[in-house]
Amino acid sequence: MSWEVDYLAIAPELIIIGSLFLVLGLDLTLPRLKKYWTATAAVAGSALALIPLAFLAVEGETISMFDGSYVVDEFALVLKGLFLVTAYIVFLMSVNYIESERYYQGEYYLLLLASVLGSLVLASARDLIVLFIGIELVTGPLYLLAGWRKGDVKSNEASLKYFILGVLSTAILLYGMSVLYGLTGEITFSGLAEATAAMPNSPALTMAVLFLIVGFGFKISAVPFHFWAPDTYEGAPTPITAYLSVNSKAAGFVAMLLVMYLALPGVSDVWAPALWALAALSMTIGNLSALRQTNIVRLLAYSSIAQAGFMLVPFAAAAVAGADLEEAFSATVIYLVIYAVMNLGAFGVVIAGARTTKSGEISDWAGLSNVDSRAAVLVAVFFFSLAGIPPLAGWFAKFVMFRSVMIAGGAATVVLAVVAAVNAVIALYYYAKVVKSVWLDDATREFPGEFDEPPAGSLRLALAISVGLTVVVGFFPALATFVADASRVIAAGG
Amino acid sequence: MTFSDWIAEPVNWVFAAIGLAVLFSGFRVVTSKNVVHAALYLVGALAGTAGLFLLMSAEFVAWVLVLVYIGAVIVLFLFGIMITRAPTGLDESLSSDQTAMPALLSAAVFVVMTWASIDAFGTELLATVGEATSTQVIGESLLGRFVIPFEVVSFVLLAALIGGITIARRDLTPVEEEERMSV
Repeated sequence: MSWEVDYLAIAPELIIIGSLFLVLGLDLTLPRLKKYWTATAAVAGSALALIPLAFLAVEGETISMFDGSYVVDEFALVLKGLFLVTAYIVFLMSVNYIESERYYQGEYYLLLLASVLGSLVLASARDLIVLFIGIELVTGPLYLLAGWRKGDVKSNEASLKYFILGVLSTAILLYGMSVLYGLTGEITFSGLAEATAAMPNSPALTMAVLFLIVGFGFKISAVPFHFWAPDTYEGAPTPITAYLSVNSKAAGFVAMLLVMYLALPGVSDVWAPALWALAALSMTIGNLSALRQTNIVRLLAYSSIAQAGFMLVPFAAAAVAGADLEEAFSATVIYLVIYAVMNLGAFGVVIAGARTTKSGEISDWAGLSNVDSRAAVLVAVFFFSLAGIPPLAGWFAKFVMFRSVMIAGGAATVVLAVVAAVNAVIALYYYAKVVKSVWLDDATREFPGEFDEPPAGSLRLALAISVGLTVVVGFFPALATFVADASRVIAAGG
Repeated sequence: MTFSDWIAEPVNWVFAAIGLAVLFSGFRVVTSKNVVHAALYLVGALAGTAGLFLLMSAEFVAWVLVLVYIGAVIVLFLFGIMITRAPTGLDESLSSDQTAMPALLSAAVFVVMTWASIDAFGTELLATVGEATSTQVIGESLLGRFVIPFEVVSFVLLAALIGGITIARRDLTPVEEEERMSV
């Protein structure tokens, strides 16, 4: 039996693989002072991979390969685009950060490209094996990258904690998948959907679904599987933290939603209450913990836990109320896309501001607006956007979330909406606290870093892209709806 | 099927013996205070698992388990312990004082998983173990139907290899770095 491979459909993956090998070759041959070429190769690779995506999007055909286990539809294209653009921004943020601190550059870009490859595979995965390998390729290199600052005990702790908890959650995820396979004898999502819908609810099925949720819950750092996140975020190099909080979290979300939406719609009475609880807990505990943080990276870590809760709200609400999942699915995708852009921007501005303050403590950022007004403006833009204040993009994400909850209706949904609303207010407080510190408080000390020179060109480009998208989407939310409408074309394969 | 029927089948004696051996080895891996002993008990657990696969006529999987896990991974484990000059003797710090809660949790998970498995598969009989899946079929499906995960796994391994070396290697001191730059 022969299996057709559509090479245009997997061209983005092939380009990423090509640039990965290019980085490997350059790292071997170039002298130490010229290693920055590896960064160029990685940046170029992630940009080039967008070209075949554009071709595929224009064609707009759904391509299904290998018995429907690898599908390139518009949903996959939208997410691949998201993964590539965010990876591009992270590469740009990394260039000077990695160069200035004598890290291993070539290996850094190689591992990050491997992780990007995993996320591209994941977006097309329509069976459990491809999905599992994809998500492991996303997180595997990150265990190592989190510990890239080898001399720093915090970075060692970050890596070890992430690794041990990550491996445990992977084992649980895999066990859930194997029980699911044992019960149904199916690995493709379409086959699983049929088999589970026809099956009476058994303890084994419930256990398998809950194990999957535990596994995915770790990847998206939802409460109560979030304990690794703040320490890992604080210890890892800042561009890796940005990547962890955006790409790897988005990858976890995509995996979770794909499995729940395509493979297990028949057992939504098992996973819907679980997701409801995850959403409510993540929002509340994430936000209450964020209130007490004094370190800006830890604050963003807890804020990203809370944002994961907001992202789960539409899907959990619709599933609990038994409403149409499609609307909720697109609301979650919109939230994910907007969150990715503004959160990357927030980390970018942390890197830019830390050049001046040389510190992650929020109190040390006081009075930054006096010496570096551009960084201060960007702090205001990204943090207010994360809080959801119009006209920045974040308001539209929150608006879509609440709208989809209203459409779903039902008592349990209303409770979740109230929890979300209270949390949105709490979040505003701690985001605004950072902006207040930067703009209104007086500097308590001399800033130790350099603030006369502008930051490196690549970091400025990364910030320009994120700030541009944040502002433009805020004024023209139709752009984001367009993306989400495209993502509704989701094929189960098979 | 009653227990006396079950035990009348000779193949089930083998199953029971191997199962108990795996259980014992697995328990000792966790409780052993000597890291080398723990690694050796892991060999026992893996060998027993390979035996279980053989009982189900999955000989390819069984031998892969022996070759890759026992032959390579555990040996690397022991090499790793030797090369990094980790303490090979009795190490009290390996065992944590907090044993009650984890034990309780493990027991609870065990009970739930056993109950769910018995409920789902308890009364089902494996039809007479069919023809063994030939290695040719496995090979063809790895490079046909499953070629994408098969190829992607190689990138997981490549990333692990390169990242592992980078994390584990000794960094150059600034003086050594100067010397290397000047060459």
